[in-house]
Amino acid sequence: MSGPSTVSDQEAPRVADTALVVAPGSSAGAVPAAAGTAPAAAAADVVASPRRRGRRIGTGRAIAVLAACTLALLAIVAASLVFGVRSIDPGVVWQAIVGPDPANADHNVVWQLRVPRTVIGLLAGVALGLAGTLIQGVTRNPIADPGLLGLNAGASLAVVLCIAMLGVSSPLGYIWFAFGGAAAAAAIVFSIGRGQPVRLALVGAAVTAFITPLIALVLLRDTETFNQYRFWAVGSLTGRGLDVAALLWPFILVGAIVAFVLANRLNLLALGDDVANSLGQRVGTTRLAAGIGLVLLCGTATSLAGPIALVGLVVPHAARRLVGTDYRWIMPTALLLGPVMLLAADVIGRLIVPNAELEAGVVAAFLGAPVLIAIARSRNVAGL
Amino acid sequence: MAIVTDAATRPGTSVDDVRLAVGAVRRRNRRRLLLALASGAALALVFAMIAISSGAASVAPDRVVATLLGQGDRTEQLVVFTLRLPRILAAVFVGAAFGLSGAIFQAVLRNPLASPDILGVSTGASLGAVWAILGLGLGGAVVSGFALAGGLAVAAIIWATAWRQGLHGIRFVLVGVGLAYVGASLIAWLLARAEIRQAQAALLWTVGSVSDVRGDALVLVMIGVVIGCLLVAVFSRGLPVLALGDDHAISLGMRTHVRRGILLLVAVLLIAVGTSVAGPIAFVALIAPAIARRLVDDGSAALAASVMTGAVLTLGADVLGQFALPQFTAPVGIVTGLIGAPYLLWLLARTERKSRA
Repeated sequence: MSGPSTVSDQEAPRVADTALVVAPGSSAGAVPAAAGTAPAAAAADVVASPRRRGRRIGTGRAIAVLAACTLALLAIVAASLVFGVRSIDPGVVWQAIVGPDPANADHNVVWQLRVPRTVIGLLAGVALGLAGTLIQGVTRNPIADPGLLGLNAGASLAVVLCIAMLGVSSPLGYIWFAFGGAAAAAAIVFSIGRGQPVRLALVGAAVTAFITPLIALVLLRDTETFNQYRFWAVGSLTGRGLDVAALLWPFILVGAIVAFVLANRLNLLALGDDVANSLGQRVGTTRLAAGIGLVLLCGTATSLAGPIALVGLVVPHAARRLVGTDYRWIMPTALLLGPVMLLAADVIGRLIVPNAELEAGVVAAFLGAPVLIAIARSRNVAGL
Repeated sequence: MAIVTDAATRPGTSVDDVRLAVGAVRRRNRRRLLLALASGAALALVFAMIAISSGAASVAPDRVVATLLGQGDRTEQLVVFTLRLPRILAAVFVGAAFGLSGAIFQAVLRNPLASPDILGVSTGASLGAVWAILGLGLGGAVVSGFALAGGLAVAAIIWATAWRQGLHGIRFVLVGVGLAYVGASLIAWLLARAEIRQAQAALLWTVGSVSDVRGDALVLVMIGVVIGCLLVAVFSRGLPVLALGDDHAISLGMRTHVRRGILLLVAVLLIAVGTSVAGPIAFVALIAPAIARRLVDDGSAALAASVMTGAVLTLGADVLGQFALPQFTAPVGIVTGLIGAPYLLWLLARTERKSRA
């Protein structure tokens, strides 16, 4: 009697595992350009039918998700304008937006503090969300994010050096250094690691490993620099004015355009370099374009808000969970979810401690971790 | 590998030919591994000799040997046995622990970035120590206790949240990375709040140093590393099968979750013990296995070679940090990244060129 039951016990997980193996193929079948992989799709139809509900996501649902994300973004922008240490009536906030009165103290608070940090949060959030999606798509590594590819480390080193050697002392002065540092790190990472995605990720980690001790070396020897740097390193949306945003938004616009143009190419890249190549795509060109987009987006985000953790990592996973594996839907979702998460972190940071504020960088990490854990625990986590 | 496929696909080859070809490849790989291990050991000896003979009071190499054999005078014995040997042993054993632990993480989770540095175990240890120093105003050995607790706590959280019908690599990695970022941002926040001198002391701890590891702590680390290596030697036999992926491993009859759980547990304990005494010596666990795999280059996890590269990298970094710059001693954690990362980059660039040709 025990014979057949053992067989079926072993059989059951094996079938489930086959479904796991084939599942990427089924998602590939959903990509129009890859419709040539008919055998894989057919096999998926046979084996993966119980799993399909979570995998194939129709246009209707994607549009609904985008609408919901837009609503969430509007709500969080409103919350960011209304909530703060100084309590201002929502009606007064509305008046301040439509018809500002320079003599009114409340209006001044709205325009000088809350509008700038909301705009900064919007821009940085958009940049981080798109950058994370690009980086995970290009490296096909689910843990890739701007921090791991060495871009944040490059920006941080440049900021440290500009404080220590040039005596720059305002966040405004850091902008171009942070940008240049991120760009230099990205140039190194992409020029050495252009081969395989694995190598790209490894080179990014190695560059981070090289830069981080350099930062520590400067900070351990120079107390004054450490004193300034540590406040930048937490990551915050305050202390930057609208002038910074006015200076940097074109970079984000160009980066966003690059990301959206590349969306369909990332779909092909997800099938592997060989398949993408054989379908007529220039993989190298895609990577180069993605690298340029990444530098623009990450460099700007880090210049705007400092090294903010987890937004760039969590947002693409959340988007993938909501709209499936098609990067043409993931991109707009990430575009909306990035600022939602960053602004939510900022608003929570204002409210959680009475009469004080917690920096957005810290709150974003605490906000992101449970989301990431929930995504990691979900059934179809791989998706890359 | 190329030889095998050539022989196997050529028409008219017999089984014996294939067997011969496989044997040739195996012999070549074994030679390569032995060469790597031997040159690593030689390098470690050179570093150890430099470390033990130079410094404020220099001891000539022949006197070092004499002292080690028990024939030194009082000063020499003090310098060698009390001041310098513990530091060397600490660098070797902590480095070996980090190298082995990183190699296990990367092999078992099948992700070359999966090291305790990136998966939050080291960050957890740092957070524990920074909180002890800045939040509670503690110092000394208690800080090590907090570091140990922090590292194990993060590992436990990863474990608890990533466990769902078994331990899956991708879940473990994702949760670990998330927790690493939470830990890092908490450390940044604690550093930004604290008084500047204290913050700098805490920062120094997070860099990692082997200069103060001696006595009981050293013995503890040595015992822990030896036990860890033995456990890994017993349980690592399944690694090549595990590397094929869960589906194949299960269909070959392996209980993947159990095997993965045991190996990861050993790796976490190794890293926690090492970090608690020496701090999270930056990136040894990430870089050493990556270098080792490229030195051995037989597609395996290169565990033995990772033990060697970890030890050599840490010891060499400590020697360089002490003597490279006059007037300034850099803690070992700064130097490991500075010499390890360029070497890894060079290896990566070189293999790329080779694979293109």
